[in-house]
Amino acid sequence: MALKQISSNKCFGGLQKVFEHDSVELNCKMKFAVYLPPKAESGKCPVLYWLSGLTCTEQNFISKSGYHQAASEHGLVVIAPDTSPRGCNIKGEDDSWDFGTGAGFYVDATEDPWKTNYRMYSYITEELPQLINANFPVDPQRMSIFGHSMGGHGALICALKNPGKYKSVSAFALICHPVLCPWGKKAFGGYLGPDQSKWKAYDATFLVKSYQGSQLDILIDQGKDDQFLLDGQLLPDNFIAASTEKKIPVVFRLQEGYDHSYYFIATFIADHIRYHAKYLNA
Amino acid sequence: MEGEAGEELGPDKSAPKDFHFYHMDLYDTEDRLHIFPEENIRMQRDGIQAEVSSEPRGEGDGKIQRDLQEEVDELVHLYGLEDDHELGDEFVDENLFRVGVPEYPSHMMKRRDPAREQRDWRLTGEAAEAKDLGFRGWGSAGQCQDLREAYRYTHGRASEEYECYVIPEEEDEEEAADVFCITCKTQIRAFQKTFDEHKEHEVMPLSKALESAKDEIHKNMYKLEKQIIEMENFANHLEEVFITVEENFGKQEQNFESHYNEILETLAQKYEEKIQALGEKKKEKLETLYGQLVSCGENLDTCKELMETIEEMCHEEKVDFIKSMCFYTNRLGRFLKTKTDMEISAQPDFEDQTLDFSDVEQLMGSINTIPAPSAPVINPQAPNSATGSSVRVCWSLYSDDTVESYQLSYRPVQNSSPGKDRAEFTVTIKETYCSVMKLVPNTQYEFWVTAHNRAGSSPPSEHAVYMTAPSPPIIKTKEIRSCEEAALICWESGNLNPVDSYTMELTQAERPEAAGVTESVVGIPTCESLVQLQPGQSYLVCVRALNVGGPSERSQPVAVHTKGSYFHLNEDTCHPWLAISEDGFTVVRSERQTTAREPLPSSARFTRCVAVMGNLIMVRGRHYWEVEVDEFLDYTVGVAFEDVPKQEDLGANRLSWCMRHTFTSSRHKYEFLHNRTTPDMRITCPPKKIGILLDYENSKLSFFNVDISQHLYTFSCQLYQFVHPCFSLENPGCLKIHNGISMPKSITF
Repeated sequence: MALKQISSNKCFGGLQKVFEHDSVELNCKMKFAVYLPPKAESGKCPVLYWLSGLTCTEQNFISKSGYHQAASEHGLVVIAPDTSPRGCNIKGEDDSWDFGTGAGFYVDATEDPWKTNYRMYSYITEELPQLINANFPVDPQRMSIFGHSMGGHGALICALKNPGKYKSVSAFALICHPVLCPWGKKAFGGYLGPDQSKWKAYDATFLVKSYQGSQLDILIDQGKDDQFLLDGQLLPDNFIAASTEKKIPVVFRLQEGYDHSYYFIATFIADHIRYHAKYLNA
Repeated sequence: MEGEAGEELGPDKSAPKDFHFYHMDLYDTEDRLHIFPEENIRMQRDGIQAEVSSEPRGEGDGKIQRDLQEEVDELVHLYGLEDDHELGDEFVDENLFRVGVPEYPSHMMKRRDPAREQRDWRLTGEAAEAKDLGFRGWGSAGQCQDLREAYRYTHGRASEEYECYVIPEEEDEEEAADVFCITCKTQIRAFQKTFDEHKEHEVMPLSKALESAKDEIHKNMYKLEKQIIEMENFANHLEEVFITVEENFGKQEQNFESHYNEILETLAQKYEEKIQALGEKKKEKLETLYGQLVSCGENLDTCKELMETIEEMCHEEKVDFIKSMCFYTNRLGRFLKTKTDMEISAQPDFEDQTLDFSDVEQLMGSINTIPAPSAPVINPQAPNSATGSSVRVCWSLYSDDTVESYQLSYRPVQNSSPGKDRAEFTVTIKETYCSVMKLVPNTQYEFWVTAHNRAGSSPPSEHAVYMTAPSPPIIKTKEIRSCEEAALICWESGNLNPVDSYTMELTQAERPEAAGVTESVVGIPTCESLVQLQPGQSYLVCVRALNVGGPSERSQPVAVHTKGSYFHLNEDTCHPWLAISEDGFTVVRSERQTTAREPLPSSARFTRCVAVMGNLIMVRGRHYWEVEVDEFLDYTVGVAFEDVPKQEDLGANRLSWCMRHTFTSSRHKYEFLHNRTTPDMRITCPPKKIGILLDYENSKLSFFNVDISQHLYTFSCQLYQFVHPCFSLENPGCLKIHNGISMPKSITF
């Protein structure tokens, strides 16, 4: 698995790099961004995975969120992968912004024609960590995950489906209950087929109801003026209710006046990195 | 060193001479005495070396040389012995080696007696050394030197005399002595034992004889050493007596001089007085007599005149005569009736001839007795000399005075009621100091002292005011506050009158083996002190009160722990509906509102929200405490400035920050209130124990769900003053406060 460095920029004493590699799971070339904090020069660092939202590439997060300073201070390696396979020449992959390219939804597709390439869940939880652990100074035992919107959904399902794998999980304005929202219905229907029982395996609200295993402290920030919240795409209340019922510790902060954008993310990114650092550096 | 010398000497016959000189040069110096202490150890070591090295050499040498070798060894031994005892004086060495280096062996009979003398002398020589030893030990180096020189003077000659008696102990190789005749006290050759005059005598090997002789020398040296010390002490004593005699006689001379001068003056004065009195008496008498004489003359004139008149009258005619006769007869009759004083009013001799010499006699008498002492000088109070119930009073006398006893009087100084009869006490003491006991703490007493002897008593000294030390303070255990870096200790003075200051003593309780006081804070003017401490330690703290008299006893110690922050609830702030449990850390709101014992409202007391405030230590740093709550209870916990409006809810202003929980329609609502605003938050797990972290350094107040280490919320607050923990209950229930605990590691944000 050869890594090809696309770019490298010094940032807050560390390096923001982008690499390209041939993904086995996805059967295509994939790019991902790596931030190596100054601490990584002298030793192994914990690693924090960021999953971006619909339409994003690895670039959005690294250029807009302003996470570098906090990551540099806390000594975290931050990995930001792309959001879907690209250039797979699947018919209809570029037809809409909320399905196909840029909208992998972090599931392993079971339906044709997606099942060959659209295996983002396995890519995020298996292939990418192996690649990172093998090529960068990271401690495989200390990893956490967070994300935004579709990426927040991805982060939560990764954490909830793999108890103990991630030390902590947090999300910004995540799609909490894809089974019930238009985006989720469209994506899950396309990738997983019409059997909704299969969908539940990738739905945070369902997953949290059956979660068992090591304690997980979940932090969620949600802008109050988020259009997608008002449109019923995110459905956090369902998730909160399920968590309350199952006594899964969640701190859900409804932030007055914020929308769904990276401006919102940039405002609270430091809180999230500090939150993860608490568990990763414990 | 000796070893080397000895080896060189071994084969050479004339060696002893060289050895002798070598030795002399090295050690026979006066300087050595002065640097004795430093050289001491080295010398001893040399001595031991010499002994050790000499033995194998003796064995290794050829048989022919053995005798000589033994001689050398003996010398070395002797020398070593001396070194052992730090001897090094020249005459000892000299003579030793004269003993050891004879010119020629003479026959036995003759050398016997001198040999004994020689030995005796040697002992004295060593004694001199021992003397040096003793003196060095007693530190009178100069004197030691003097005595040693004196000794040399008397004995040096003797040693020269002895030179003629020196007995050669070294013999020709073939005739070397190898046994010792005890009877004759001399060395003989073994074969001599079989015949000769030693036939009947007891003999022993030479080495044994040497050993026993050495032992004897050691014993004698020890005795002499002791004697020298005694003599030295005696000499010192004599010197002291000498000085004392000089002083005493000088004093007496002065005394006599002043007394006799006084007597002479008195006599001269008396003479003057007498002469003057005499002259006055004389003048008085003469004046009286003169007056009498004058009046006498006047009388005489009157008589004469009457006589003449009467005579003239008698020559007059009858008619006239009769006329004037009646007049003159009356006049004469009157005149004769007046008494003519014919008594001599002044006697020519002295009436009072006795001279009063009683005062002079008294003066004369007092020459041989001691004068009454003058007033002693009472010292001001020495610092730290008093205890709570006693003071130590000191005074001094004039050196000329002889005092048999002192009377020390005292009474308490009471500014308030001077008219009141103040009890006065007097004690009689022989010393010039007295510890007066059973006094009242922190109280001023005035003291004065009079000195007494056979001749009388002195006037009283000046009055000096002494003060007893204060009573120990009482630490207010309920008001102790502490955090990781500091503690605030408050106490009651324990004294009615003010004291000067307080001293706080801190002992780390973790280390009782270091029993001493680890830290003291002195000069604390008020009844509280904030003291910097090490985190995570336990301390025992006690306080003393101080005044001019000294420190009080220690207060009862209290334990202070610098684990987390420790505070008590301030009952003055407690809403009337709230009760604080016995242990002081559980806040209870009962089902029924008790209005019976409603305390007086005060500006410090919460009146609207049913709350109480804790007294957190005023230290900028990090403070952490926990509150145990019921998950269905409505409560508010947080912090507020001390002057937060007590008629407002917590969080309803800019002076308080708090977390409020309300449980309505089976839903938990958590608010993080400051200035009536709260973020919109959902918390899925109701905390049972809330951790509150107040961080002045980062201006943050954070709330945690302790059981799952979950960070709930963090305020960024401008803490321009110190804030205090607040606890409020919106419905009946209780809150249990845990403090003095270290912050769990997981409680970070």
